[in-house]
Amino acid sequence: MYRRVARLLLLLLCAGPVLLHAQDFKLFDRDVQVHGFISQGYVYTSGNNWLSMNTNSDGSAAFTEMGLNMSSPITDKLRVGAQVYDRNLGQLGQYHPELDWAFADYRFASWFGVRGGKVKTVLGLYNDTQDLDFLHTFALLPQSMYPTDLRDETIAHLGGDIYGDIRLKDELGTLSYTAYAGHRSDSIYNGYPLLLSSQGVYIKTQGGLQYGADLRWKTPLKGLLIGASRINQDITATGLTVNQLNPTGPLQAFSSSSKAEWTNQFYGQYEKGKLRIDSEYRRYFTNFGTSSGNTNDVRGWYVSGAYRIIKKLEVGSYYSHYTIESVYYGPIALVVPSQTDTSLPQNHIYDKVITARVDINRFWNLKLEGHFMDGYGVSTYPDGFYPQVNPLGFKNNTDALVVKTSFHF
Amino acid sequence: MNHLKALLAVAGWTMLLGASAVASDVKVIANPSVKADSISTRELKSLYLEEKNSLNGTHVEPVMERRGPAHEAFLRDYLGQTDDELQKYYQTLVFTGKGSMPKTVSSDAEVVAYVAKTRGAIGYVGSGASLEGVRTLFIADSTGTERQLVNRVEPAYPKDLQERSIGGTVRLKVVVAANGAVEHVDVLGGNPILGESAAAAVQKWKYAAGSRTTMEISVPFEPKH
Repeated sequence: MYRRVARLLLLLLCAGPVLLHAQDFKLFDRDVQVHGFISQGYVYTSGNNWLSMNTNSDGSAAFTEMGLNMSSPITDKLRVGAQVYDRNLGQLGQYHPELDWAFADYRFASWFGVRGGKVKTVLGLYNDTQDLDFLHTFALLPQSMYPTDLRDETIAHLGGDIYGDIRLKDELGTLSYTAYAGHRSDSIYNGYPLLLSSQGVYIKTQGGLQYGADLRWKTPLKGLLIGASRINQDITATGLTVNQLNPTGPLQAFSSSSKAEWTNQFYGQYEKGKLRIDSEYRRYFTNFGTSSGNTNDVRGWYVSGAYRIIKKLEVGSYYSHYTIESVYYGPIALVVPSQTDTSLPQNHIYDKVITARVDINRFWNLKLEGHFMDGYGVSTYPDGFYPQVNPLGFKNNTDALVVKTSFHF
Repeated sequence: MNHLKALLAVAGWTMLLGASAVASDVKVIANPSVKADSISTRELKSLYLEEKNSLNGTHVEPVMERRGPAHEAFLRDYLGQTDDELQKYYQTLVFTGKGSMPKTVSSDAEVVAYVAKTRGAIGYVGSGASLEGVRTLFIADSTGTERQLVNRVEPAYPKDLQERSIGGTVRLKVVVAANGAVEHVDVLGGNPILGESAAAAVQKWKYAAGSRTTMEISVPFEPKH
């Protein structure tokens, strides 16, 4: 596996100069652009096999992402394109390529356009760009907001968007809006199915309706952006589960639907010269039923700062705060205890991060990043911590070193 | 005495040439198919950020330089971004499917050649570039509410500078009163002699009535080659 990744990386790096000049071509007299990226990381943890999911040692290079896209303007207002995405992160992804986005986009005017197809979901500052390592200072975005092992839960929808930019009068800045509706469909190689498999639940499908909106204001104060996003989701998971009354018997059909599932996110960004400060707050709430079930209330926030010291070197730091409360009621409450004390390590992750990004050239960068985590927050959602790779239980604290390099053209 | 005069003359021309070199030496050019004589910085920024793709009803395709003084001056003066910031912006568009990389070439000559042969193309070049086959757009910048220019007086091009092919773009800050008269003009950048000439002409311009506005405008002086 490592050899395959190394060969691919080497091939891309060698082919880079050629690709850089070969990214534009004509097809049926239309301009076509081809772009791609690949990143390779290494995660070393002091314990808990965080993200690496490797029980044989404390480190893992199973941290690869890649994408390739093609797009073309069909008319002055209509453009089409598609991107294929693939990854291998610990035991997730496993090099099963997927259609990341593929849509037609018709822009009537700067203030109104429509997109249809599989579209990346706009949520907060970075949801739609979270896979694009080369755009970010950090090797891992704050996991309280963008948990990389749960990317499928918010990343895209099959449906449509309306969007536009409205320049406000009297130099009050610009409002950008996006509203969307569609169907979310998760990969079974995502983190949540992996977590549930440790509990004897084997998910075959997961997805459903999602609709929402994002509104962001580029304020008159140069460099200041603020915004808010909202998603409503109606998600159903189906699969098989172990019969609790007869654990050695055949698996039973399993189906679970959320009765209410929504995310609110508020964010701000300030850029001045070489300095950038980001902050976001997200609340994700799920209710699985009225007579017997549970509610999950996840709250996360972070503050990050990045400063470009010289053209080729940027440093950054963030503090990421994640808590979860899960309340069980009805008969299930007799066997599953509620988790409402967020001071317990299984109900929170507080992550302090420092990073350095070196831009080797315009297309290639290298990142070194340290994570210092308090808590493992695995009571309901994984966020990098998985019981099956920690059979002896979790340690309360985890330190991790992440080394990552990415290339794009 | 003669030595002193010669010294002063040399010093004067050195200052002029020096000022010309540090002027906002960028011209915005377009293919003759583009139906516009002028473009505001707001429109220019919208076109290069792919927020819009037409100018006065004509489809427009922006072209960029990869690097160089004209590129840096254009980004600084008209887009308000560094090259790194702009690349990041385009990459976000490209990798989320919301836009494409603009055509990028390596030199002023390549920009001019591409704009001349490509219908709807618009680009920027240093003020010294040969402009065969393209038209230069007057940059009617506005930092306030857009005001329509109804009477324009062409600035005088000092003969000495024209003969010596000293040109460039002058940037002015203009305060327009509610009745459309130009209240005040400040020279922000460019050759000081050309700036003085441009300011004198702009002082006589007349805009449509509207709320009091402060604008930045660019006035190009193109030496005959």
